[in-house]
Amino acid sequence: MKIRIRLARCVAGGAALVMGLSLTACGDGGSAGGSQEFHVLVYGDAANKVEKEIVATFNKTSDVKAVLDTVPGADYQQKLQTVINTPQAPDVFFNWGGGSIQPFVKAGLLLPLDDMIKKDPGLKSNFLPSVFNTAVVDGKAYGVPMRGTQPVLLFSNRAVLADAGVQPPATWAELLTAVSRLKEKGVTPIALGGGDQWPTLMWFEYLYDRVAGPGLFEKALAGDKDAWDSPDSRKALSMLKELIDAKAFGTNYDSVKFTDGGSAALLASGKAGFELMGSWEYSTQQDASPDFAKKDLGYGAFPTVEGGKGDAAGIVGNTNNFYSVTKKTKHADAIAKFLKLMYSDAFVTSQLSIGNLPTTTTTEKHLAGAANPDYLKYQLDLVSKAPSFQLSWDQAYAPENITPIHQAVQQFFNGSLDADGFIKAMQALTTA
Amino acid sequence: MTATASRVRRARALPGRGGRPPGVARPGIGWALPATLFFVLFALVPLVLVAVLSFTSWSGLGSPEFAGLDNWTTLFHDPVMIKSLWLSVLLTALGVAVQTPLSILLGVWAAGPQRNRAVLSAVFFVPLLLSATAVSVLWRALLDPNFGVPAQARWLFGDGNLLGSRTGAIGVLVLVSTWQFTPLHALIYQGAARAVPVVLYQAAAIDGAGTVRQFFHITLPQLRNAIITSVILMVVGGLTTFDTVLILTQGGPGTDTTITAFYMYQKAFKGFDFGAGAAIALLLVLVATLISLVVVRVSGYDKMAGTKDGLS
Repeated sequence: MKIRIRLARCVAGGAALVMGLSLTACGDGGSAGGSQEFHVLVYGDAANKVEKEIVATFNKTSDVKAVLDTVPGADYQQKLQTVINTPQAPDVFFNWGGGSIQPFVKAGLLLPLDDMIKKDPGLKSNFLPSVFNTAVVDGKAYGVPMRGTQPVLLFSNRAVLADAGVQPPATWAELLTAVSRLKEKGVTPIALGGGDQWPTLMWFEYLYDRVAGPGLFEKALAGDKDAWDSPDSRKALSMLKELIDAKAFGTNYDSVKFTDGGSAALLASGKAGFELMGSWEYSTQQDASPDFAKKDLGYGAFPTVEGGKGDAAGIVGNTNNFYSVTKKTKHADAIAKFLKLMYSDAFVTSQLSIGNLPTTTTTEKHLAGAANPDYLKYQLDLVSKAPSFQLSWDQAYAPENITPIHQAVQQFFNGSLDADGFIKAMQALTTA
Repeated sequence: MTATASRVRRARALPGRGGRPPGVARPGIGWALPATLFFVLFALVPLVLVAVLSFTSWSGLGSPEFAGLDNWTTLFHDPVMIKSLWLSVLLTALGVAVQTPLSILLGVWAAGPQRNRAVLSAVFFVPLLLSATAVSVLWRALLDPNFGVPAQARWLFGDGNLLGSRTGAIGVLVLVSTWQFTPLHALIYQGAARAVPVVLYQAAAIDGAGTVRQFFHITLPQLRNAIITSVILMVVGGLTTFDTVLILTQGGPGTDTTITAFYMYQKAFKGFDFGAGAAIALLLVLVATLISLVVVRVSGYDKMAGTKDGLS
């Protein structure tokens, strides 16, 4: 009879373990193996279209074949960190440069690209230096830009705005007016994928930037915890609160996600007027609702805040994404040829065709020939004139802070944290 | 219930009644060898490794560094940890409370001889065949506040903020696991209900007992062992639920559905703090073991005897 108890105990322990095991064993990414191929791991989303084309182009002329592995966006970082130190590690992988690859560089897992650049200087000279340098760590280059620059823009449904007699807002006051007009029309003024949490964070990033300027966050990131408790910080929070209380985002935003197309569908179907999103919203809409993307998708800069210290031209988002190479790869020469494609004319034009703005020095001359030159020209102007380009908070801080930041942001929006609670949560983050 | 229990007790007092009939040899230890080997390799060894890991600090890169009791002391002062344990227990209790009556009814019904029973049983069984991931994605789409069912039935769902509110999210998690796992438990009850000797019902019918009385006085007591088995499975499954939370709520809103298993994932795989993750995992193993033991003790599972007494 005692055996039965032990059995139950084992079942309990075993089940918990199996769960733990299946988690650690979830790395099924590409393995280089001994075969004549190398694996390219990328963030899975609508932009994969171009990456597939590039790989196909490369494989036409190369004996060593490239294999593209995509991981759904929300899980990308976890997946990368768990496979990069294993035999399943990819040869080439997508990242955000800077802080996102620093731990890998420290652990000695990445191949410095300086030798490749010595053989082919174009690997460096064909990219905008400010962007290329995001992936330089300790004076060595570890990445080549591989997508487009991604400022966060205020997108809109032109038809919905016209119907409510609303102009794209240039100032915060105009945004509040637009919100109340749209509400009268019975649409949700602003679509928000609160279930993903990071879209909610974008509202904080911009409002802090406009009210306090980029300095406040930089100070906080450098370890000055008082910055969060400053009058500017409190003002930004109270303005956000005002917007939330005005039901600008409706009431069910935390049940909506961007990653499963929820918030984007709200905008495209005319159930919402605005959405604050990275420039990839364009390719997302083009993929999911091509008609809407062509006819009614509007875009503009984040409104200015009267009396705010931030520059009206300041932007937040990501400078670009990068391809880095792992040290253990056996096909460095083939990979050098593959990376060369990232500044080819074919690459630039196909990125432009999905609304991404590559950061090569040749981008500008291809703009006119693109399918949507206005959107691209707008982005290029915005990025080149911006006095500051604030990296997303959850990527600027060390990775262990991502969850606490997301939670605090969500809880402030749904009212379970007040301004004091939010400030306290931000002060508890670990800083360098 | 009490009548059966006392009869069982009496039966056990007689030598040779509750146990093995004399003259039948016990199976040799060899039978247990393969399973024991697998268990040691895939359960005990990892468990020890996790225990060791819980005393280290490791980001997943390089090698773990010894950190003493750091992970454990932080854990016991962590409000989210305490909340997550409470949430895990709450979700498990709700799951047991909702699923047990449903699956008993469904199982007993499926054990009967009705027409179309086999076809309908097969239909009811479908949710169990789907992976938890597919199930979660399906429900997520179904419950989308603007394009799913709530948008069609505003009178029932209001603004449809199910996954974005604490009660709503917990309710959805209970609903989804009920939808998915009731078939499994119904299957257990179906098997057990089929094993109930028909003579008992015949005798009861002669005594004038109706269907309801038969259910409460014969079927339910006879299902006792099946109930215990099923509840233990639910407890263990409930405490280690993970995939539905990952896909449906991401532990949100805020930390309102951050159950312990998900918190472990968050610490280890999102925060890259595998030492803390290991400590949480180990704590979960301890809690699950403890609760299972309590269930076993309270239910008398460890003294379990046959249910056929009084028949021969």
